[in-house]
Amino acid sequence: MSLLAVRNMTRRFGGLLAVSDVSFSVYKGEIFGLIGPNGAGKTTLFNLITGLTPPSSGDLEYKNRYITRLKPHQIAELGIARTFQNIRLFGNLTALENVLVSQHVHTRSGVLSGVIGTPGARREERQARWQAMELLEMVKLSDRAHVPALSFSYGDQRRLEIARALALQPELLLLDEPSAGMNANEKTTLTGFIREIRDRFGLTVVLIEHHVPMVMNLCDRIAVLNFGQLIALGEPAAVQNDSAVIEAYLGEQ
Amino acid sequence: MDSFINQYGFLIVQMVLQAVLALSLYLPLMAGQLSLASPAFYAVGGYVAAVLSTQKFLPPAGTVFPEPVQSLVIWLATVFPGAQDGLYPAGLVVLEMLIAGLISGVLALMVGFPALRLRGIYLALATIAFVEIVRVLSLNLPVTGGAIGIFNIPQPFHTKFEYLWIAGPLILLSVWFVARLERTRVGRAFAALREDELAATAMGINPTYHKVLAFTLGAVLAGMVGVVSAHFLNTWNARQGTFDLGVLVLAYVVIGGARTFAGPVLGALLLTALPEVLRAVAGLPGLPTWLTEFLREGRLIIYGILIAVGTVFFPQGLLTPEIFTRRRRPPGIQDSGAGETAPTEVS
Ligand SMILES: Nc1ncnc2c1ncn2[C@@H]1O[C@H](COP(=O)(O)OP(=O)(O)OP(=O)(O)O)[C@@H](O)[C@H]1O
Ligand SMILES: [Mg+2]
Repeated sequence: MSLLAVRNMTRRFGGLLAVSDVSFSVYKGEIFGLIGPNGAGKTTLFNLITGLTPPSSGDLEYKNRYITRLKPHQIAELGIARTFQNIRLFGNLTALENVLVSQHVHTRSGVLSGVIGTPGARREERQARWQAMELLEMVKLSDRAHVPALSFSYGDQRRLEIARALALQPELLLLDEPSAGMNANEKTTLTGFIREIRDRFGLTVVLIEHHVPMVMNLCDRIAVLNFGQLIALGEPAAVQNDSAVIEAYLGEQ
Repeated sequence: MDSFINQYGFLIVQMVLQAVLALSLYLPLMAGQLSLASPAFYAVGGYVAAVLSTQKFLPPAGTVFPEPVQSLVIWLATVFPGAQDGLYPAGLVVLEMLIAGLISGVLALMVGFPALRLRGIYLALATIAFVEIVRVLSLNLPVTGGAIGIFNIPQPFHTKFEYLWIAGPLILLSVWFVARLERTRVGRAFAALREDELAATAMGINPTYHKVLAFTLGAVLAGMVGVVSAHFLNTWNARQGTFDLGVLVLAYVVIGGARTFAGPVLGALLLTALPEVLRAVAGLPGLPTWLTEFLREGRLIIYGILIAVGTVFFPQGLLTPEIFTRRRRPPGIQDSGAGETAPTEVS
């Protein structure tokens, strides 16, 4: 069953076609790889899906509902969460607070009930903190829950971003180069971790990744972008041997 | 003690009121919005107090309100002590504060939705324009008394110092409110917007809603301070709540520290007390005449120098959240400063 359908998505930046008439579907429960050379339009596609960049034309359908014109926070509310290629944590907030922010849409307390501390608001806050700590535990950062995010190492920040995205309780998780800057060891761990959260939370994952072994190993299907166009789509083995894909990657060198 | 209060009672209350004003500017800043609109709401609050207390509430000329408002007015006019002394009932000042808070809040909603589409310095400019609009209106509307303004605003207390009965609870409540807010769901949404608006929206935070909310909360506070100030100063006109005040309040926040509620409060207390301290120092015997004269006449220069020096040596202000939590940030990581989130590229 298709969870997300991308239909004829196009985005121009001036004269540049960053994403050009791209269509594909992501099925529920799969890990979907999005690869392509630098500047192929992968991140732009994520920005289109999450509403951060409006499309020049095309449509997005999520759970049989058009989300093309929705605002980013509305799309997040519907259960699409993401991480950023160039990490965008709330630097001066603690790790715990970063995760708590994403629980916003699943909690209710307003200004007055929060400030006064009504029993309902207190209970909600306790529960949110408890859940946030569990997520931090999962990414092995719970011992530094009260440390500001900007003082974390690169790899830790990437994992914190994943925890923050998971706190939205998404159905669709978009990961933009989550292994960038990690060593081989960390990459292996991350591969296992992505599988684990997919199974545990019933997630569907779209993954932008340059590290080919990781993509081949992890993804159920792969889409290849080149100069904004979708040049291949299919299972890893098939895509790997696709002549257009080989040319796109070789042509880059 | 009595002479101290006589001499400094006015100053102490003034310091407290300025501290609440500083918080009113800090509230939108919590959500990353640099607004200089506080003086406009302060002015509106002052006029609400001036009009209600001189024309509406006081018998026999007072207006008769529909029930149950009329009963509430009468009850508030009698329930607080001192009402029989020929003084203006303090309970009515509280009622004025509630009304002014309501009016400021509604006005803030109307101004906030269009204005908060603007970012950073453009928002600041728009709010300055709003302050100017309120000033020009108050100069020209009959209800605000034109250029003369409204005078003989009735006094709820015998001495200026006793205004602490109202200003004291107001600052305590405001500090408690803001301090608590920072640790709640809504406060965290503000902080997320301030840190990185784009990332915050991708995590489900509605930016417009929270910016307007923060702006409105600040406006309510500023309107309430206006009420107290109008009584306190006895007269209200278009010279209250102008752009100058906005700059001053911004200085409180910048000097005190823009990243924790304690910063604006400290900044306001210090900067409001400073001229008086300088005056007192100038009065000390044995100083050379040129120094005495400089301290007396050159107060504004000293003031300016202190602000400049302060911002150089304490670019984050005197107080930062780290002082309270004893967190240490690693060297080399720069802070983003006073809290604007620039519309940056996404990648
Ligand atoms: N906001 C923008 N304004 C103008 N051009 C942009 C903008 N965002 C992206 N581009 C351009 O669109 C093209 C696609 O960029 P995008 O970031 O989507 O590529 P990518 O596939 O994610 O690349 P990488 O692997 O380097 O992350 C690039 O040429 C980029 O310069
Ligand atoms: Mg990219």
